[in-house]
Amino acid sequence: MQLASRTYDANDISAVQELYHSSGWTDGLPIVPPTAEAVEACLEWAMMPPDQLIGIEPVRGLAITAEKLAINAVMAGCLPMHFPVVLTAWTAMMQDEFLMHGATASTGGCAVLVVLNGPIRLELGASGTFNALGNSDRATAVIGRAIRLCLINLMDVRPGVIDRSTLGHPGKFSFCLAEDEEDSAWLPLHEQRGIERAASAVTVMAAGAPRQIMNEWTTRPEEILETFAAEMRANLRHYSIYPGNYAIIIPKQLREHLQAAGWTKTDIAAFIHERARIHRREWAEVGKGAVVRDRGDSVYPAMERPDQLLVIAAGGPAGGFGAIVPPWLGHKSRAVTLAVGACVDCEPPKK
Amino acid sequence: MTFRVLDPTAEKAPPAGKAAPRLASLEGKTIGFISNGKEGTKGFFRHLDRMLREEHGVAKVVSRTKSNYSAPADAGIVAEIKSWDAVVSGIGD
Repeated sequence: MQLASRTYDANDISAVQELYHSSGWTDGLPIVPPTAEAVEACLEWAMMPPDQLIGIEPVRGLAITAEKLAINAVMAGCLPMHFPVVLTAWTAMMQDEFLMHGATASTGGCAVLVVLNGPIRLELGASGTFNALGNSDRATAVIGRAIRLCLINLMDVRPGVIDRSTLGHPGKFSFCLAEDEEDSAWLPLHEQRGIERAASAVTVMAAGAPRQIMNEWTTRPEEILETFAAEMRANLRHYSIYPGNYAIIIPKQLREHLQAAGWTKTDIAAFIHERARIHRREWAEVGKGAVVRDRGDSVYPAMERPDQLLVIAAGGPAGGFGAIVPPWLGHKSRAVTLAVGACVDCEPPKK
Repeated sequence: MTFRVLDPTAEKAPPAGKAAPRLASLEGKTIGFISNGKEGTKGFFRHLDRMLREEHGVAKVVSRTKSNYSAPADAGIVAEIKSWDAVVSGIGD
């Protein structure tokens, strides 16, 4: 296998770290040295030649190759078995509707939320239970980190360069979770979004920081979901009125009440769609009266359609908590779900 | 232990655009403004419009606003650029 990247020699592990930090090639944390052997192992696992073109970033015309993604994946701590997920997430991010340049350059400071579904979660040991949105396991930690290192190094999404984030959020280090499909009666997210259940899939969403809610004082689905909807209304008031993909994370304790009452993900999305909406005049209550103008009676739903809500079963077994993950800027970037190993631009087979 | 490690960057610079010839003077020229549509652009372009006309003799200012402030300019706006002598693209947060 012939790699095309320039090589550097470093005397020891400390010298490797200093080379990468001083060159601006890291997220501030130590990296795993990307040797040719480690990078080739990733490419071999994914059965991809190094020069395989994953896509051309449409705004600046940068070509993204499998070799460069693999180098950054190794640096993030990925093993070869993690690499197909990184490839799929990047393929998804390069779809037009994701608007990768805008989403990653914006002052809005979003991160890329990556959701794993299907059997690959189990193969990788990606956990969707305890601490699902935090440091739950090795696989989600390194996959999420690889997404950010690739952005930094392949697209110059460095703070103050292409990344113009005013604040950003901690998910910009790593923001990946696996759905807890084994302990849920619901359709997994990828099946809900049109992928075969038996396939493994990755969903990417340009996402703000998670906002945690708590309601352990009811078992009624309407009351539980009202708490989620209230947090979404808060986002519409305090952050952005643009409708689009929101994600809600429902851990087991609240999930069991919803499932016992026979509520499906579709039912949940329909209820939230009705409840998560505000009048434009509410902006005046949070200091944004200047932009209400003469449209105070206009109603703004969080999603244009119920199916824009990504309902994800994940979280530890106890605790009446949940989370909403708001979009970067609603309708400007769409969540994308792709099957792992699927070819996006392939010609259909000839009959 | 010595490590031979790989460059993680794109290495190749993005395809560079070519700068248009500089104008010797703005006198009698048509200048296009492409705004990203954010609030901060309004005062800026209003002021620049006045400056160009009153102090530099610009004949015409054409103002256009992108439909999506986070995406490249719409194709229709890009197509218009060739009919302008110069363009000012402004981002206002």
